[in-house]
Amino acid sequence: MFKEKTAMLGKGEIKYFVGGTGRPLIHLHGAGGVRPNAGLEALAENVTIYMPVLPGFDGTAEIAGIDSMETLADLVADFIDKEIGEAADVLGLSFGGWLAAWLAVRHPSKVGQLCMENPAGFRPKDAPAPSTDPETRMKQMYAYPERLPKETKSDKVIAKNLSMLGHYHGDTSFDEKLASQLGKIECLTMIMHGTRDGRVPEEAVQFLKRDIPRSHLIYVYDAAHSMETDQPARFAHLVADFMERAEAFLVNQGTTSGRPQQVL
Amino acid sequence: MKYSYTHHMPYTGIDRSGQDWPVPNKQFDAQKGVEMFNRYVEDKIYAEQTGFDWIGCNEHHMSPYGLMPNPNLVGAVVANRTKRAGILQSGNIVPIVNPIRVAEEYAMLDVMSGGRLVAGFMRGIPHEYVAYNVSPDESYDRMEEAMALIKKAWSEPEPFGWEGEFYQYRAVSIWPKPVQLPFPPMVMSATSERSTRLAAKHRAIAGILALLDMDDGRANINRFKDYSREEGWEPTNDHVMVGVNCCIAPTYDEAKKILEGGQEYFFGVLGGGIRTAQQLVVQKTRYYGSPEESAKLRNKFVNMRSGMKTRSFDERVEMGLMICGTPEMAVEQVTRLHTELGMGRLGLTIKVGNVLDEHVTRTQDYLRDIVFPATRHLGESAGPAQAAE
Amino acid sequence: MRFSYTHHMPYTGVTEAGQDWPVANKQFDPKLGVEMFQRYIEDKIYAEQAGFDWIGSNEHHFSPYGMMPNPNLVGAVLANRTKRAGILQSGNIIPITNPIRVAEEYAMLDVMSGGRLIAGFMRGIPHEYVAYNVSPDESYGRMAEAIALIKKAWSSPEPFGWEGEFYQFRAVSIWPRPVQQPYPRMMMSASSDASARLAAEAGSSAGFLRIVDFESTRQQIKVYMDRARECGWTPKADDVMIGMNCSIAPTYEEAKEILQAGQKYFFGVLGGGIRTAQQLVIQKTRYFKDKGAAEKFAKKATVQREASFDERVEQGLIVCGTPEMAIQQIQRIHRELGNGRMNLSVKIGNVADHHVTRTLDYLRDIVFPAVRQLGEENDPAQAAE
Repeated sequence: MFKEKTAMLGKGEIKYFVGGTGRPLIHLHGAGGVRPNAGLEALAENVTIYMPVLPGFDGTAEIAGIDSMETLADLVADFIDKEIGEAADVLGLSFGGWLAAWLAVRHPSKVGQLCMENPAGFRPKDAPAPSTDPETRMKQMYAYPERLPKETKSDKVIAKNLSMLGHYHGDTSFDEKLASQLGKIECLTMIMHGTRDGRVPEEAVQFLKRDIPRSHLIYVYDAAHSMETDQPARFAHLVADFMERAEAFLVNQGTTSGRPQQVL
Repeated sequence: MKYSYTHHMPYTGIDRSGQDWPVPNKQFDAQKGVEMFNRYVEDKIYAEQTGFDWIGCNEHHMSPYGLMPNPNLVGAVVANRTKRAGILQSGNIVPIVNPIRVAEEYAMLDVMSGGRLVAGFMRGIPHEYVAYNVSPDESYDRMEEAMALIKKAWSEPEPFGWEGEFYQYRAVSIWPKPVQLPFPPMVMSATSERSTRLAAKHRAIAGILALLDMDDGRANINRFKDYSREEGWEPTNDHVMVGVNCCIAPTYDEAKKILEGGQEYFFGVLGGGIRTAQQLVVQKTRYYGSPEESAKLRNKFVNMRSGMKTRSFDERVEMGLMICGTPEMAVEQVTRLHTELGMGRLGLTIKVGNVLDEHVTRTQDYLRDIVFPATRHLGESAGPAQAAE
Repeated sequence: MRFSYTHHMPYTGVTEAGQDWPVANKQFDPKLGVEMFQRYIEDKIYAEQAGFDWIGSNEHHFSPYGMMPNPNLVGAVLANRTKRAGILQSGNIIPITNPIRVAEEYAMLDVMSGGRLIAGFMRGIPHEYVAYNVSPDESYGRMAEAIALIKKAWSSPEPFGWEGEFYQFRAVSIWPRPVQQPYPRMMMSASSDASARLAAEAGSSAGFLRIVDFESTRQQIKVYMDRARECGWTPKADDVMIGMNCSIAPTYEEAKEILQAGQKYFFGVLGGGIRTAQQLVIQKTRYFKDKGAAEKFAKKATVQREASFDERVEQGLIVCGTPEMAIQQIQRIHRELGNGRMNLSVKIGNVADHHVTRTLDYLRDIVFPAVRQLGEENDPAQAAE
C-alpha cells in the first residue's frame, strides 16, 4: 500500500513512504521508525500519508548538521516544501509528536492542522520515568501486542533507532525551550492520548492542551502508547474526521458517520 | 460502626403484581403514589436525625419495586433538607445511562450538599437492561469504560474528548465540577469477580449486599482485599459495607412477624415481573461473564431464593443474616456481624416490602436510642483484615 | 396575567470566560459554587412567596451559563419545598437525552409535587448538541419522535415497545406514572415556525422567549394558533407565554444600570464559549431546517446584542424601570400580543442577588396585583390577528 521514494532536500537525501487517497498528511514516526500498520492503512482510505524516514532511522544515513529537534524540524519543513508544496497536515507519534510541535512553532506556514499522538517531550520532572523493565515496557507500549504487525527490522536497526532519539534530543524529557513557545502554535491542534499509555503521563498532554491555543485533547480508550495498532479503527476515524472537518469535528454527524450511536 | 440508611421507595399499593415484565403501571394509583413518596422522603430525612451517617437512594426501572428511576432527584431533596449526612447514591446504573450525565448529576449533588456526595456506581440488576434496551452482554465493558470516563470528567483540568468503544465525546468540561477533589468517595458492588476487581481498581468502598452466609460474605470481603492489595492499596474498615434487612420491636416475635411479612411481599409481589426479565437476561446473555461464573452466580440467586423457602426465618436470623428482634438482640447481631466480617459500615434496609411506615420509624428510634450508641465503637480501630482473617 | 420565574443559575465567579468551547471548568471554585447554588435555590423558593405561578429550571451543559445539567434535580427540591407553584421544567433538552428517562423523571416530579409539573420539551440551543455529541441535523427528527414516545410512556395503559428511527425499546411501562392524566401540562418553545407547529401538534403551551419585535412575534403566535386549530384544539391565553428580562428599582436609571450590566456580563462573559460552539453548529449543520430560520436566529442574537438598551425598552422588549413603569410595560405587551402568561428572567448574568430579591418584592407588592386580571378571559388569537 505504501510506496518507497526518495526526496532530495537542501541538506541531503531522505527516504520516505507514501500511500492513500485524499489530501496530504505528513506522518512523523516514533522511536521505532516507519512501521505501516492497520491504523495507518485505515487512515489512508481518506488521506494520502507521507511518512519520511528521519535521518539515521531504519538503517538510513544521518545528515550532517541535522542533530537537534530544531534542525530536524527545519528538515521536515523542507520536505513539505519539496514534496507537497505550500503546507500539509501533520501527525506525529511520540517522538514524532514532539517533533511536529517544533515544526509548528518554527514553520507555522508549513502546517495545516496538527495532530499529536501520545507525544513525547513533555514529561514533568516529578512524573515517573517510563520503565526499562522489558515486561513492564511491553505493557506500557501495547494494550494488544497481538495486533502488532510482524517485525521486519533487525535488532541492530532497532537499537540504532533508539539511539537516534538521544542524537536529536539528548536526555531531555521535558523540552523547556519548546514548552515556552507553545503559545506560538497557530494551527488547529488535536492531542490524542491512549488511556492505557504508560509511556506518556497524562500531565504531559494536559499541559499541551493548556498551552497550545487552538487545541483539543482526546482520550482514545483502551489504547496504550502504540495507539495505531491498539485501536486502529478509533485512531483512523478520529484523525480522518479531524483532518476533514476541522473545528466542526466537534459536531456529531449522526448515524451516517459509520460509528455506533451511544447510549443517551 | 457507621450506618447507612437504604430505602428503595417501593410502591406498596398492590396486592399482587403477577409475573409479567414490565409490570403494567395501570396498577399505579397516583394519589397513593404521592402520599407514599412524600412519606418516604420524610423518612429519609428523619434518618439523619436518628443518627445514620449516610442516606441512600437507588435506581430501578419499570416496576413497583422502587419509585426512583432517577434516584438523583431524591438525592437532591435529601441534600437540600439535611445538614450532615452523606448523600449515598447507590446508585446510578452506569452501563445503561450516559456517563457524562452521571458525572454532571453527581457533581450537582456534590455542590448541592456542600461536598457530602457518596457516589455509587452500580451495574444494576439484570432486568434494568431489558428496560433500557441495552445489551447485558456489554454490561461489564460499558461499566469499565464509563467509570474511566466519569473520573476523567470530574478531575481533568482542561477540556478533553473521548474516543471509546461505547462512548464518544469530542469536548467535555462539566459545570459544575464536584466539590470533593479529585473525586467524591465511591461505592461499588463487590459481589462478582469482575465487579470486585473494578471496585479494587477504583479504590471504592465495597458493598457486600447479598449475604448468603457468613463464609460467603467473608470470602467476598477477602477477595476484595486481595485485589486491592494487588492494586497497591490497603482497604480500611470503612471500605467495606455489608447490607442487611433490619427490624426492631419490643419482642422478637413482633419484629419477626413484621419483617417476615415484608419479605414475603418483597419477593412475592414486588419481585414478580422483575424475576421474569431477570431470567431472560441470566439465561440468554453473558451478563455474568464466563459460563462458569455465570453458573455459580445463577446458583447463588437460586440458593438465595430457595434459601428463603428451605431455611426458616428463625434459621436465617440464627445464621446472622438479618438484624431482627429486640434492641438488645440487634446490638448482639451487629456485634456478631462485625466479629465475623470485620466491616466498618452497615447498610440497613428497614422498609422491606410493605413493612408499615410507623414500624420503620419505630425501628429508627430504637436504633438511635439503643443500638447506635452501643455499636458506634465497633471497627473504629482494627482493619477488616484482622477481623476477617 | 400569570407569571413564571426563570433562573438559569449562572456561575458568576468568572470574570472572563473567553471564546473557547467548552469553557474550562478549572475556573469553577467549588466553595463559591456551593454558596451560589444554595442562594439560587432559596431565591427560587422565594418566588412562590412573591406570587409567581410557576418556577422554572432549565438544562445547560459545559459552561458557567447555567449550573443545571439536569434541571430535574433542582425541580425536585422545589417540588419538595413549595406548596402551590407549578414546577416548570423548561426543560429537558429532548433530542440529546433518553426520552424514556425524561418520561420517568418528569413522572417522578409530577408525583413529588402532587401534580404540579409543567413538562417543558426543549430542542435546546445549538451548543448542547456539541456537548452531548448528538448530530444537530437530527434535532427535529429526534424531537418529534421523542415527544411521541414520551407521551406514550405517560399514557399507555399497557406495556408497549417502540421501534423508531432514533429510539428502540422493547417493553416500556414506567413507574411511577404522572399524577396529571393523561399528561402533565406541557410547554414548548415556539420561536421558529417549525417549533411553533410542533408545539401546536403536541397540544402544548408555547413559549416565545427571544422576542425581536411585536410584529414578528404576533406572526409566530399566529403560526402556533393556526396549527393548533388545524389539529382540533384552541389554545387559551395562558397557553401563550412571552419571555422577557426584568429589573425593577426606585428609578428607571437604577433599574437600567443593573440590568444593562447584567446583560453585558451575560453576553460578554457567560456567552463566549457557547457562541463559538453555536457558530459551528449553525455553519456546519442543518440544525435549522431552512436558511431563513438560521438567519432569523442570527438576527435575534444580533438585535439583542446591538440595539441600544433604551431602544429596546422603548420597543417594549424589556420590563425595566419603576414598578409603575413595569405595570405599563406588561399592559402594553398584553395589548400587543394577547398573552396570558409571562416568563420573567430577573437574575440576568451577574445581577446582584439582593437586586433580584428587591425586584421580586416590587412584583409581589405592586406589579402583580395591578396586572393579575389581564388576559384571564380573552383569546390571544384575536389580539394576534
